[in-house]
Amino acid sequence: MSRLRGVRARLAVTLVALVALTAAVLGVGASWFVDTRLHDRALQDAAAQAGFDLSVIVPGRQLPAAPTRDDIVRSGLAETFRQRNVETIVDLGSGDPFVSREDLVGALDRLPADLRDRVARGELAYAWADVAGVPSLVVGGREPAGGPAFYFVRNVSDITAAVGQLRLALAAGAVLLLVIALLAARIVARGVLAPVEAASRAAERIERGDLSARVPVTSRDEFGTWADRFNRMAAALADTIARLEVAQAQNRRFVADVAHELRTPLAALVAEASIVGEHLDDLPPESRRAGELLVADVRRLRSLVEELMELSRFDAAAERVALEPVDVMRLVQAVTAARLATARFDPPAPSVVVDTDPRRLERILGNLLDNAREHAPDSPVEIELSVTPEQLTLGVLDRGPGVPEGDLDRIFDRFAKLDPSRHGGSSGLGLAIAAEHAALLGGHLEASNRDVGGLRIALVLPLAVTRSLPAGDETAIRGPEAGDPISSTREPIP
Amino acid sequence: MDARILLVEDDPSIREVTAIGLRNAGFTVETASDGREGLDRFEAEAFDLVLLDIMLPRLDGLEVCRAIRKTSMIPVVMLTARADTIDVVVGLEAGADDYVRKPFEVPELVARVRAALRRVGQRPEDDTSRLTLGPLVIDIAGRAVTRDGREIPLTRTEFDLLVDLTRHAGQVLARDTLLDRIWGYDYLGDSRLVDVAVGRLRAKIEADPAAPALILTVRGAGYKAAR
Repeated sequence: MSRLRGVRARLAVTLVALVALTAAVLGVGASWFVDTRLHDRALQDAAAQAGFDLSVIVPGRQLPAAPTRDDIVRSGLAETFRQRNVETIVDLGSGDPFVSREDLVGALDRLPADLRDRVARGELAYAWADVAGVPSLVVGGREPAGGPAFYFVRNVSDITAAVGQLRLALAAGAVLLLVIALLAARIVARGVLAPVEAASRAAERIERGDLSARVPVTSRDEFGTWADRFNRMAAALADTIARLEVAQAQNRRFVADVAHELRTPLAALVAEASIVGEHLDDLPPESRRAGELLVADVRRLRSLVEELMELSRFDAAAERVALEPVDVMRLVQAVTAARLATARFDPPAPSVVVDTDPRRLERILGNLLDNAREHAPDSPVEIELSVTPEQLTLGVLDRGPGVPEGDLDRIFDRFAKLDPSRHGGSSGLGLAIAAEHAALLGGHLEASNRDVGGLRIALVLPLAVTRSLPAGDETAIRGPEAGDPISSTREPIP
Repeated sequence: MDARILLVEDDPSIREVTAIGLRNAGFTVETASDGREGLDRFEAEAFDLVLLDIMLPRLDGLEVCRAIRKTSMIPVVMLTARADTIDVVVGLEAGADDYVRKPFEVPELVARVRAALRRVGQRPEDDTSRLTLGPLVIDIAGRAVTRDGREIPLTRTEFDLLVDLTRHAGQVLARDTLLDRIWGYDYLGDSRLVDVAVGRLRAKIEADPAAPALILTVRGAGYKAAR
């Protein structure tokens, strides 16, 4: 997701930068252009007017060659010009110029020297200047015949204001454009990234094992083509996996069918061999050994077929766990007595009742004991049981040859016969079955070599509910032995 | 021991070798190869025990067992192909007393048959006592249980279970203890035998089998009769 956000951010930054640059160039250019055009036009107007005034209006008033302030006042020139919004300053050369308005007193001295020089040379000149605090265009000149210099002061603050407003409007427009750019970036990003995100979600579902996940094909562009490709890939994958699963299921069903079909003849064989086994001594010497081997081999065949059937039930996921409260200590004692009575078991002081499936627990422990008997014959076998509130650990420890470290994981594989020279009665499925039962109970088996030599295989079972039995309750559970007082009433039949 | 056994089994080899094994052990054995024939023979002759395969042509073993239970409390031992919960529990609920899992070795089967017959034989004729459990009156010698004067029909297994629990009323009997005492398993029998038998017993003697008042479950330990 962070990468997608990155794409989104990059897109937004790029778009905003582009829009900002464009807006800045356009804004600056437009305001410069307008500003220049307005000033030029004002200047042209002012210059034309000034030329006209100096050559027509001023001579028309019949001023003397060296007019005084009073002459100018009397001529009414200032009023004429004011009607056109133009103030007038007349440099009479006396250092006391005529001004048409009170606040223009002294303004002449503050006009740019360059302007005054050019006017003095008889040119028509202009300057943009602040006059009495107002942005103004000043055009100066004198009659061609000579005489006093006239300066026409025109207020151009309206131009400045107009350009200022234009700039403000342009800035506002730019901001609006930026906002639009941001929104556009989001929308474009969503449009571009939606298929990417959809594909990402689909890939995630496939990763979790849902092979039916597909990407919606919403367009005919490159994204659409790509989504279509993705979907074809997913379909091909699902197809392959389905084929493999079918093949595997067929394989397993075949094993299950074989085991199932063997069941009835096997049941007959087992019963028959058991009778032969009872009467081996009655057989003539030349067939007795064959009889013994027959009995042993039927046992081997039986455990192999039964274990194959048991495994095929796991493969068919036909196994269900039936939880019930189980007194683990009693169960361990009972299984030990049945399967390997010589194994040492020192029960921990308080027994525990655990919610689990007793038949599976029996099977696991029984198979571990069988394994110890098989692979560590005549070695002392110990059973360890420890229970914490979180987990139960039930281990079978032998003093046999152990297993090479590299093969420890493999001992739970089906038909894992690590020592090919050993052809004992075991099918090589016992530990695999125990591991399947352990997994079904939510636990696992772990194998390790002991420091003192030998192998330790332990069932580790996480516990949901464990309760200690109150001390001294054992007798109550075992129940009274025969001969205990009978608590119910006894009365002779009349 | 000249007990007469009816063996109902469809596979000829298994039927023959099982019959040989039982005869070697001293039993008289009659055989039938399907459920219908088995039921006919059962109704025609007197037997001490029935060995019943579950998967049978024409009439399956469960049906045969239910039909037998309508008229007789004779011990019935099922031969089941699998020790699957469904097969075992359904068989026991049909009224079987015990089951033997196929494949079996003949001595193992003979031991189960003997244990089932022994319970029948253990008729304590001299024990003329009566027990009571709540409203129930248990006549040990007559192997009869009455409630308000009406007799409740119980199989031998159910009766033995009721007597054992009642004799130790108030005490918890673990399931493997009961398996040992009632079914004669010295180790690791299937505790579902006990659970199903208790369930069937409750259905017959409790006023409300869903809320038992006479035979109580002690979670994680076993069962006890109310004192």
